[in-house]
Formats: sequence, C-alpha cells, structure tokens
Amino acid sequence: MSPSLVLLAAGVLSLVLAAALAPPAFSRRDLAAQGGVALVAMAVMAVATSLDVVILALLAAGIVRAALAGPRDFATRVRAPVVATALLSLAVVFTRVQGPDLLERFAAVGVVGGLAAAVGVLPFIHPRDSDVAAEPDAVWIGFLGPVLAAAVLLRARELLSPDSGSDLGAMLIGLGLLNMVWGTLAAWLTQRDSAAWHYSFMADWGLALCGFGITVVEGRSAALLVLLGIVLGRFPLQLAARQPAGGGAAVDRPINFLLAALLAGSAPFAGFAARVLLLKGAVQIYWPLAVVLAIGFLLYLPPSLRLGRTLSRPRGRRAFALAVVLVINVAAGLYPLPILSLAGS
Amino acid sequence: MIEAGGAVLAWFGASLIVLSDGRRGLALGLGCIGLGMCAVVWPAGPGLAAGALALGGLIAAVQRLRNGSPGWAIMPAGSTPQLVLCVGAGLLSLWIGASVTSGGGASLRIAVLAVIGMMGARVLGARQPDVVLSCVAGLVLAVAAASSLAASSPETVVFLGGAVIAATSSFIRLREPSAA
Repeated sequence: MSPSLVLLAAGVLSLVLAAALAPPAFSRRDLAAQGGVALVAMAVMAVATSLDVVILALLAAGIVRAALAGPRDFATRVRAPVVATALLSLAVVFTRVQGPDLLERFAAVGVVGGLAAAVGVLPFIHPRDSDVAAEPDAVWIGFLGPVLAAAVLLRARELLSPDSGSDLGAMLIGLGLLNMVWGTLAAWLTQRDSAAWHYSFMADWGLALCGFGITVVEGRSAALLVLLGIVLGRFPLQLAARQPAGGGAAVDRPINFLLAALLAGSAPFAGFAARVLLLKGAVQIYWPLAVVLAIGFLLYLPPSLRLGRTLSRPRGRRAFALAVVLVINVAAGLYPLPILSLAGS
Repeated sequence: MIEAGGAVLAWFGASLIVLSDGRRGLALGLGCIGLGMCAVVWPAGPGLAAGALALGGLIAAVQRLRNGSPGWAIMPAGSTPQLVLCVGAGLLSLWIGASVTSGGGASLRIAVLAVIGMMGARVLGARQPDVVLSCVAGLVLAVAAASSLAASSPETVVFLGGAVIAATSSFIRLREPSAA
C-alpha cells in the first residue's frame, strides 16, 4: 500500500468527521460536493501509475471545484491549480528530455513550485475568504494537498537523478522551514481566528516539507505522520471552530487545552511522533538542522493555545466526533508503526 | 515537415488565445492547438492518442464558438505585454527545444513548452471565464501531449483523459459568485 492510499483512506474518514463536527449552520451539501470532488481526485492520484495522470487529476479537480459556486470569481479560484499544473508539467518535460543537468534542476524547482502553488503554501499563498463559512482553501491545504504531495514527491524522486534529488530535498527543507516559521508566527499574531487556522496549516506543511526533504526513511515517515495529522486532526477541527458570530465563547476548558496539545504536536498525539522522527532524520543528515527544527517546534505552542480556545464546548454528535479525532491522533502517536508499515515506510 | 508545421500551428493557436478576448479568436486558437498537438504527437505516440487530442481540441473550439464574448477581439488596446509574451515564449521554446535539448522529437518539445508556458502565463492575468477555460483546455492538451516524451510507451489514458477534460471544460456554465 502506498502513502497516497493511506492518506486517501484517512481523507474518507476525515470527511465523515468534518461533517459531524461542522457547526449546524454549515452547509453539509456544500461540504459533500466539495469533499466528493476532492475525494474522486484523491482516488485518481492515489492509484495513478504516472505523474501525468496525477497532474490531469489536479487540473480536473481545480476546474470542477472552481466551477462550483464560491465567494470569489472563477478566474481567481482556478488560477492556483492551473499555475500548479503548468509548473508540474514543465518539470515533467524537463525530466524527460535529453540535455544538460541544469534542466533536471529546473525540474526540481518546478516540482517544488507546482506543489506549493497547488497546496497554497509560501511562496504561493492562496487568497483567503475569511468572511465566509465555506473557505475553499482548507480543502486544498488540509484535505486534497496531502495526497497530492505524497503522489507527486514520491514519483518525482524516481524521475530525478540523485544530484537533482538532493537539490529537491534542499529546496523542500528550505521551503519547509520558511513555512514553519511564517505559519506559526502568523497564526499567533494575526487578529482573525480564521486566518490563524489557515496559517497553522502552513506551519504543519512546513514540517511535512522538511520531512520529505530529509532523504532518509525517518524523514518520509515523519512527513506521512504530519500529513495524517493534517487530514485527521487539523482539517476537521478547523471546521468545528467555525462558529457564527457570538455563537461560541472562547473559554479555557480542559478540552481546549487537550486540543491545543493535539495541534501543537505534544505527546502522546501523532504530531509528537512525527517531530521525534523528524529530529532523528535531521540528526542523520546534518545535525544543525535538528537544532533549528527543535527551536522551531517551540513556536507551535502559542498559536496552538490560541486555536484550541476557538473551539466551543461540543455536545452530542459533535462531542462524539471530537472524541474520535482525539483517539485517532493518540493512537497514531502512541503506535505509528502499523500506519507506517501500511504506507511502506 | 508535418511535425514542424504542427509545432508552429500549436504556437500560433496559443498566441491567439493569449491575444484574443473574443470567442472566435479563442475558438480558432483551441482548434489550432488541437490540430498542432495531433501533428507533433502522431510520429511518437499511437494514432488513437493523436486523434484524441485533435478531437478534444476541435470539440472545445466548437463549444467555445457557441458562447463567450462575441467577435474576434484580437489584440485589444493594451495588448503589448501579451504580444511580447507570444514572441518571447516562442523564441525561448525554440531555443530550449531545438538547441539546449537533444534527441528526436524537437517539434514536440517546442510545441509543449510553448503552449504550457503561454497558457500558464495567460491565466495569471485573465479575468473572463471563457478566456480562462480556453487556457485550461489548451494547457491540458499540451500536458497530455507531453506524455509522448516519456521513454516508455505513453499511456493512452493520459491522451484520452486530456482530450475529455479539454472538451468538457468548454461546456462548463458558471454561476455568479455568491458574494462580492
């Protein structure tokens, strides 16, 4: 089983949890439509035999999602997936032609740029719709993006030569650190909670990119766990945090601290196991990177405490779904080996 | 000779999409890209694949002709940057495809690089849905054609998928945004 298939299965579960956790005012129909389109694209990406199919699925998902009614105009909604498609396609072309080594390095740039554009992380941050309930960016950065990243990066490594693969890794680590620092600080300091949630996704993506960039098995395992945490933790939780104005008071209950711990990657949640693996991998390739990462991990605490407080007290169905999210993340954190084995890591 | 003509036709089609805001110009551009990609893919890929690209491009062109802004609207006022893009992308693709890279299939490389680059750049500045959808259709045809560059035999499903996406994207009817 490939990492993409594991993330696809997690996506299905995440969609169910998101539907249960979303506030009553949130349109389940919209969620089902957006999530359904994303799931079909994710399934195609997960079983695709070549990068071409992955790119076509990305573009098709981008068109269909943009064509669904949204708060922004069609041209703005479709721009990021189209640019991502163009960059990834150019990268694929450069890996397939005979020529100087420099072309493969451009291909590595195209892979990183295309992935960043599709997901919506630095240097291609998607415009946000903070004022509306349906924030489409969350689907790319929190739901579809993880499968896309796994599908693209694992295939890209097969296409690139070892030298270009090292360049790709270095770019991923650099971009990962940038997103980590930017995401955590912005999530901490921004005024709007919806924007803070978006930046927190970027911060988690920073960890995932670093993991993919660290070319040892621990790095890949860490990236997979971070992406699982995004799909099965942060994505449904950010939907749960969407309350109408005045509908949810920010108070400090034990559940808020528990959720803050989950978001910060504290033990025993999945994020902690991912961070340990990331440090272990970083020590193996270049130990100062581990120091930088360890300092960066501390930055996750303030925004997580803030985001944990944005969730109101859950009741009934929502309380049950929240408990499921917590249990899954604890299970993945305490015993990640079955998941990693399933994903071939 | 046919391959070289196909590459020129694909570049010309992409240039029309970049320079035009009217449905006639966009439709002609899509048709040219479809036929151009068919011509450059034919020697490298299966006949079915080349045919699928041509058919996809032509369906997209016919459908584009039925809706969108009327007329040709080629090179409206303020089109100088787009014109520079067309010339620059063509020359850059020619240089990379024919000089920097080596091996057979130079026309395919030139056509694919030109169309992908120009469609990606056009989408960044376009606002009208019919222009954006035309760019998407042109881009997807080029992406599908690029699979012919693979060392192994290209997958037919990529060509068919690309043709279907190109054709169906022109049928999309857009709803108005729900908020400003």
